[in-house]
Amino acid sequence: MSSSREHIRNFCIIAHVDHGKSTLADRILELTGAVDPRNLKEQTLDTMDIERERGITIKAVAVRLTYKAQDGQTYVLNLIDTPGHVDFSYEVSRSLAACEGAVLLVDAAQGVEAQTLAHFYRALEQNLEIIPVINKIDLPSADIDSCRRQITEVLGLEGDEAILASAKEGTGTREVLEAVVKRIPSPKGDPDAPLRALIFDAVYDSYRGVIVYIRIVDGRATKGQEIVFMSSGDRYDIVELGVFRPAPDPMESLETGEVGYLICNIKTLRSVKIGDTVTDVASPAKDPLPGYEQIKPVVFCGLYPAAASDYEELRNALEKLQLNDASFVFQADNSDALGFGFRLGFLGLLHMEIIQERLEREFNLSLVATTPNVAYKVTTVDGKQLVIENASKLPPPNKIAEIAEPYIEAEIICPTEYLSSVIELCKRKRGVHVRVDYIDNKRCMAIYQMPLAEIVLDFYDKLKSCTRGYGSLEYRLIGFRPDNLVKLDILLNGDPVDALSCIVHRDRAEAIGRTLAQKLRKLIPRQQFEVAIQAAIGSRILVRETIKPLRKNVTAKCYGGDITRKRKLLEKQKEGKKRMKQIGNVEVPQEAFMALLSVGDEIDK
Amino acid sequence: METKEIGIYIHIPYCRTICPYCDFVRHPTSCNIPSRFLEALKTEILSLPGSYSVKSVYFGGGTPSLMTSDQIAFILGVLASRFGIRIAEFSGENLQPIEITMEANPDDVTASKVADWQALGINRLSLGVQSFSEEVLKYLGRRHDACTAVRACEIVAGIYRNWSMDLIYGALPVETWESTLCMCKTFQPPHVSTYGLTYEKGTPFEARQDEKIEDDVSLELYRQAERELGTYFHYEISNFAKAGFEARHNLVYWTNEEYAGFGPGAYSFLENVRSRNEIDLDKYIISPCGKSERLNLSNYEVEVETLIQHFRLARGLDKSYYERRFGHPVTMRFGEKLQVLIQRGLLVEDEYAIRPTSLGFELNNEIGLVLVD
Repeated sequence: MSSSREHIRNFCIIAHVDHGKSTLADRILELTGAVDPRNLKEQTLDTMDIERERGITIKAVAVRLTYKAQDGQTYVLNLIDTPGHVDFSYEVSRSLAACEGAVLLVDAAQGVEAQTLAHFYRALEQNLEIIPVINKIDLPSADIDSCRRQITEVLGLEGDEAILASAKEGTGTREVLEAVVKRIPSPKGDPDAPLRALIFDAVYDSYRGVIVYIRIVDGRATKGQEIVFMSSGDRYDIVELGVFRPAPDPMESLETGEVGYLICNIKTLRSVKIGDTVTDVASPAKDPLPGYEQIKPVVFCGLYPAAASDYEELRNALEKLQLNDASFVFQADNSDALGFGFRLGFLGLLHMEIIQERLEREFNLSLVATTPNVAYKVTTVDGKQLVIENASKLPPPNKIAEIAEPYIEAEIICPTEYLSSVIELCKRKRGVHVRVDYIDNKRCMAIYQMPLAEIVLDFYDKLKSCTRGYGSLEYRLIGFRPDNLVKLDILLNGDPVDALSCIVHRDRAEAIGRTLAQKLRKLIPRQQFEVAIQAAIGSRILVRETIKPLRKNVTAKCYGGDITRKRKLLEKQKEGKKRMKQIGNVEVPQEAFMALLSVGDEIDK
Repeated sequence: METKEIGIYIHIPYCRTICPYCDFVRHPTSCNIPSRFLEALKTEILSLPGSYSVKSVYFGGGTPSLMTSDQIAFILGVLASRFGIRIAEFSGENLQPIEITMEANPDDVTASKVADWQALGINRLSLGVQSFSEEVLKYLGRRHDACTAVRACEIVAGIYRNWSMDLIYGALPVETWESTLCMCKTFQPPHVSTYGLTYEKGTPFEARQDEKIEDDVSLELYRQAERELGTYFHYEISNFAKAGFEARHNLVYWTNEEYAGFGPGAYSFLENVRSRNEIDLDKYIISPCGKSERLNLSNYEVEVETLIQHFRLARGLDKSYYERRFGHPVTMRFGEKLQVLIQRGLLVEDEYAIRPTSLGFELNNEIGLVLVD
């Protein structure tokens, strides 16, 4: 069924995590008959287990729905799902660019949160029509009046007109769809112009290859057409195109204003750049669509196989994983301490956790990960500019003129009674105060600029604990700033361990070094020999901790039957040892390489 | 078919009182050991298939010294009929072809009983003294007091030439260990076992882990025993003996050779199968041949266990013995691992044997850790 453009509505749902986006999407799918409620798995649009467990959506999926509105006419609704997390802000912006409108969900009990705001601003940047919806009104703690006020005062929308809904109970869903039809404009665009389609997402399917999600901005796409991706210049034939309802429904063509998918025998997701423009080879468009950016990783970590023999397996796993997540990068790396492995770059901390978890879970790999870090810009004394993604690669101190680190601007929303602890936390994290806005009499928003490195470590957990879980955080990169940064080395029995080096602020180096050494002392098991742990800047030793040697480790009795039990016990211990890395003659458990992550806690105590 | 020599273990699971640190199968009873238990033992012993000759018998527990003379004689008779042990071998103490040991609780020791045990054919006693300190005996929840321990030692030393004294170190207060060792020496037992106290899972002591002494203290106590018992041969990690008085039955375990265990919870190791009897006493009595565990060990697993066990012994592993037993030299499968252990100073090697060093005794589990996969 081709649809007249006036009856198309392209929209998405935006919300803070857990405000009910996926549940509302499910209700919409049911109401429009796209999914039989009995067959509806909870939250159809979230496809991966990890996503469902974490309550977030990573991959956008667009679904075409048919809705008979109260005006008696039938509309085609394209519901575009957006990634829900801060790390995927660029992907979110491309999904939004494929829409004309957005349903903005606000949890009736939680009110406007940091991500609500961030998504709202991005939707505004795309000039979307925004329909505020107050969700979860069934909750006993729902405060609808306060939500209305926040929508009016914080977002500048008509809070009084916000739709009241409970996606869980199904109330308000029809009102939402009516508003989508009435308030969101139909797509514009020139059907007679050369094809221009926005790639707003892509997923990898092991049978079909890459499935590219597109929004036709101008012209039309037809089956068999030869197309070109404008940023890469890569050409393909459209093998199949169509829409998801939510099952795939192949069609002959997609017209201006429509949203759908392309399959063109693309083998890897790396070949498809989100935000790129698809055009026709025979009559190409002159200019690509605006807004395309090459995404850049901001958080890095080393990943090494626990057993050196698993290196090839890890490489294969990374390559496979990159087939369906092109947003992380990796390159081979060699650490003196950890041997051959890879250096990975991620869009953010959560992104990193997801990738690590998938590697362990889906590929059954035992990995040693190093503490995540950011990329530094280093100016050498002879004027060269270097980007350092790995502290151990830092030039010697006498060769460095300046080290600059990435800064972010963070928006933190929290109940007013926690503001002072949030400010305290930001100060500890080298935050620069920008301002505090009061959202209502209960909540406020603190804006701070701070080093990304501080966020990467443990900021989010800290924020959650100092606000009893009520604080929410959104941030964006604002550039690099020089500071008094030094490389802190950790030495085991006198030898620096490259994988434990980190770049820290000079004022905090000793405190971090001391805490790190103490943590390592607890983490590294006693060995047959004494182990000295030292923290140093250059040749200056700041701290020394000692692990006493193992003195007595013996099973007192070993009679009939005891031996098998003992062997099993030893085998189990050995299994644990296999996850350790041998550095010199010292066995180091892999937790040690993540020790820096929680160093903040100890210093604060 | 070839007749193999095996060790026989008989588990007597009854006790007057329960020691809170003990993790053997045991049942409190104020009465005599019931005859239906002995009948079950008989059924089990007579059901063992295969052709074996016996090199040692060990009555452990529980408290085997709760058995009456008739009951001891009954079991020995059953063993004799099953394994063809000539009764003559039971009597007398000298030049025994087989060693027959019974564990005894100091509380059960009287001159007439000990004389009976010897007359019945028990040619070795293992006396569970544990300590000569009143406080430690209380801490351990033992039935006897220090005075009873002394009297029992006097009686046993007067009757038995071959006997062993069991001692526990590491129980609080630890300072009593030295005086316990001194007392021990006054009786000149030809064999002494010194066990570090453990807080085993499933025992009341499990909840008292925090009372466990530090490694360094435990090591000091262990070395103290080694010093005080300097005239003995420290032939196994926890065992000391005068020449010729090594525990032959326990050497079966420490050389990982074959043994058959009878009674609830007893382990057997025959034909590469390590099995454990039914643990529940009532169930055992109803069906004495039931097994709670049965592990088919691969040749490789047996080799690993054999190595681990031999490295508990001061004499270590005789290389030609190993080659005879397994058909290939020990270096074939373990050469690299043994080299690591030698480099770490835990083992030493000469032309004939590979032996643990004193560090290899103190860090014995480290040897096992390298040997297992």
